[in-house]
Amino acid sequence: MIHNTKCECGHQNPTGTVLCESCGKPLVENLPLDTPLEMRYDGAARRSQKQNPDVIDRVWNFFSSVKIAIWLIILTLVGAAVGTIYPQESTFINLDDPAAYYKETYGTSGAVYQALGLARTYESWWFIGLLVMIGTSLVICSLDRVLPLYKALSKQQVRKHLTFLTRQQTVLETEIPGDADQWVADFGAQLKRKRYRVWTDGTALLAEKNRFSRWGPYINHIGLIIFLLAVLGRSVPAWHMDQYVSVDEHQIKQIPGTDYYVGNDKFTVDYYKDEELPDNLKGTARAKLYQTQATLYACTQYCDDDPLHDPVLEKVESHAIEVNSPLEYKGLKLYQYNFEEKIRLIEVKPMLVDAVSGKSYGPFDLKMNDPAEISQAGPYTLKLNDVYPDFGLDEEGRPMTKSRDFNNPAFVFLVTGPDLDSKGELYIYFPMPSAADKGVQQQINDSFKKLGSNSGRFNFEVGKMENVTFSQFTTFLNVRVDRAMPYVWVGAAISMIGLVMGFYWHHRRIWLRVDGGRLTLGAHTNKNTYGIRNETAAALAKTGVDVDPKALDNRRNTQ
Amino acid sequence: MNWLDISSTAFQAAFYLYCASFICYAIAVAGKRWSNRKPELHNRRWGRFGFILAVAGWIGHLTFFFTRWKGGGHIPTSNMYEFMTFLAMAIVFAFIVVHLIYRNNLLGAFAMPLVIIIIAYAAVFPSEVQPLIPALNSYWLKIHVTTAATGEAFFAVGFAAALVQLLRVIDFSRTDKAGRREQKWVEFVLFFMVVIIGFLVSVFAFRGGGYEAKFRQETAHIDQQGVAQTLTQTVEYGLPPIVAPYNSEKISMQPYLGIKEPLFEAPSWMNGVNAGRKLNTVIWSLLSGAILYGLLQLIARKPIAAVIHPHLTDIDPEDLDEISYRAIAIGFPVFTLGALIFAMIWAQIAWSRFWGWDPKEVWALITWLFYSAYLHLRLSRGWQGTRSAWLAVVGFIVVLFTLIGVNLVIAGLHSYAGV
Ligand code: HEM
Repeated sequence: MIHNTKCECGHQNPTGTVLCESCGKPLVENLPLDTPLEMRYDGAARRSQKQNPDVIDRVWNFFSSVKIAIWLIILTLVGAAVGTIYPQESTFINLDDPAAYYKETYGTSGAVYQALGLARTYESWWFIGLLVMIGTSLVICSLDRVLPLYKALSKQQVRKHLTFLTRQQTVLETEIPGDADQWVADFGAQLKRKRYRVWTDGTALLAEKNRFSRWGPYINHIGLIIFLLAVLGRSVPAWHMDQYVSVDEHQIKQIPGTDYYVGNDKFTVDYYKDEELPDNLKGTARAKLYQTQATLYACTQYCDDDPLHDPVLEKVESHAIEVNSPLEYKGLKLYQYNFEEKIRLIEVKPMLVDAVSGKSYGPFDLKMNDPAEISQAGPYTLKLNDVYPDFGLDEEGRPMTKSRDFNNPAFVFLVTGPDLDSKGELYIYFPMPSAADKGVQQQINDSFKKLGSNSGRFNFEVGKMENVTFSQFTTFLNVRVDRAMPYVWVGAAISMIGLVMGFYWHHRRIWLRVDGGRLTLGAHTNKNTYGIRNETAAALAKTGVDVDPKALDNRRNTQ
Repeated sequence: MNWLDISSTAFQAAFYLYCASFICYAIAVAGKRWSNRKPELHNRRWGRFGFILAVAGWIGHLTFFFTRWKGGGHIPTSNMYEFMTFLAMAIVFAFIVVHLIYRNNLLGAFAMPLVIIIIAYAAVFPSEVQPLIPALNSYWLKIHVTTAATGEAFFAVGFAAALVQLLRVIDFSRTDKAGRREQKWVEFVLFFMVVIIGFLVSVFAFRGGGYEAKFRQETAHIDQQGVAQTLTQTVEYGLPPIVAPYNSEKISMQPYLGIKEPLFEAPSWMNGVNAGRKLNTVIWSLLSGAILYGLLQLIARKPIAAVIHPHLTDIDPEDLDEISYRAIAIGFPVFTLGALIFAMIWAQIAWSRFWGWDPKEVWALITWLFYSAYLHLRLSRGWQGTRSAWLAVVGFIVVLFTLIGVNLVIAGLHSYAGV
């Protein structure tokens, strides 16, 4: 359909214009007759309304449609909701076999859920795709509208067509008392007192305020775009890392994927006292405060699992990590995540005791997680033959290790030295002080003796407590890097500014003209028509036209 | 008298003042024809009483809040009881703001009962001051929770206005399909509110009677190390068990209506925290809601909506539409700030991730997306008026689900306990 785009006022409008850019007369004949005019973008033409669109225009049109935007928002909403039906895989720290876990825990529906990839909804291509589409839509939609709106608002004409005035939301047609010029001037003065900007053209008047609030939605959208870009930027590995490490007290561990090591120097936990707890919680252990005294080391040499050298560590930072108080170093943050109370030996310094001579030798160092191959105790050499981190016996009564955790370590040494057979003597040693362990140690050493592997003259003894280092707590730390954060905050802040501008101020315009003593007034606002009616009626009352604010409402008269 | 005693006294006072305010508003709206004064005068007079009482109640409520803060040592928004009472206080605040703009008594007649219901719901939860767990111990949490609740409170007022609007425009003379459907759905929303009242009535009735039943339940649970463990818990019921928890054994149960055993056991997929008890609560709410609704029907002999509708004629639907929209428009930036931005700041500080796709967070996002869809739809022709009112109603249901449903249905990181 080809419209005649030249208005009767003589203004030539671009194709797609709904209301004449100059006088506001409706140009499109098929507008609904009895409702107020559609005032979005003041009826200006937009790029998306181009005739004969090509491919690019079609893409543009697709993304510039608010209807599409709403669909995208609704789809994202539904997708996000589906993702909360069962816990996401990402909420588990170690989940070796997600499929089995979901099947076992949540039954068939859980298995289907996991198989469909819904247990990873928020990382899925379709969810991220929706976010990308919303972002595209935000950009195109805003561009498509903000430019025409800007143009329309910056070249407004004061004298409007009568049809334009009588088809606003707020309308008044009445006779005015006295001199028209004087009345228009008085009315303008009233509006100025309400912070309107007023322009006059003979007996026509335009008053406007809070135009800036029209930019609110666009500023909000710019903020959202920045926010979204920042969020998508987090999928770049260098920008984002999220890992967990568990560290026993006095242990130093590498942070996976980095050249940093973290040591748990000391862990403390404080519980609420019974008198601090309400009755129903008395007697339960509720942690009040827990803290990891942590040290961060940077590795300067031999970092990548060099079998010949220990890594060279340099202390770079130390901090008492608590919930809400992470250790921070160059964008790397270590957060307190959780803890577990579990006694673990870290290191002991036993003496080698010779039952025959009554002498003891040593002490020698025995690190649980990294025992030396060869140790020296006085004149004797101890060669490490076997390590059982978590000692147990298999079905046939042979020694084995139940796990790789140092829950109940046992060490087998081959002792060589003066007065000993050249092939040496074999002893097992349980550093844990429990009586049961000592019993097992005695039994095994006795059986070695029967086999002729040792003569039974040696024993191990730790003696003083200073010779034992143990960990009472294991701390779980969450290691994070997030370089997109500044942009996330900037985006959020801009978005908030836009929202406040758009929602707490309202753009208001009042047009009027007096033709031979007869006043025609039309007013428009994008929000709060109630407010503009009151404001108009108040100004009218001050200039001798008494009218009930409700009578100005043009919507009701037409329904 | 210590701070906490003052606090609970102030709270009771606030509650009764709200009830009185509601009664005044109800008289203002419904009683126009009984008095021989002019209807507008009657309406204005009783409406003013209602508003003064609401403000007085709110001052009492503020007193409750600050004295409890002083007495308890931390801001009272850290468990469900405290949060719900805070939400009620925020709704009254939002109501006062919107009322000062539009001065419409109908809003009070619908917002006040909402406040009363929410306070009663809060009272279902234990009201002792509890110590905070470390993750909650940050002032950002306080800012986040209070701002988010304030935003939600404006949505609640938008909901109340939208409901009035629906009741106002509903046309009982229509017998076509669309008209019938509309009548049915409006009635359904009212029924839903009766069910909530039914829930409250049954909880308080059985609690008043000291009812108790106990079960021992075995649940499987995976610990930090990924090792499966079996946990034996005692589940206590305050309502007579129609449904027993899954995989449980009765320890004790007071008989009710001659019934001595639970009628059936919860299905196995209901294995979350206290799922059996929650299902039981839902069944009781529906039952007592249905009975209550039946009684109302016996008295009125027509749908509740048809009882209310004739009292709403002196306001234009367009004005209600605007009030509802405006309340939501005021609430939206506050909600964005509180429920999303402050939540992100807090999460960033507490857990080093501003966003973790925790169910509670996701539902806050869903609420936000829903209201942004609402705002965008209003830009389109044909989506103002009734349709938009329906969206405002649904939106508030989403808010309620985020606040309560997520805790009842999905147990997340957040530490609020469910009933
Ligand atoms: C999907 C992409 C989006 C598009 C294409 C879009 C488009 C638009 C458009 C055209 C407007 C009207 C501007 C005016 O009337 O002057 C608008 C307003 C608005 N948009 Fe969006 N938007 C999108 C996403 C969002 C999202 C995700 C939000 C979330 C908050 C949002 C929030 C708003 C708000 C608050 C307004 C103001 C509404 C009002 O003035 O009543 N937009 N948007």
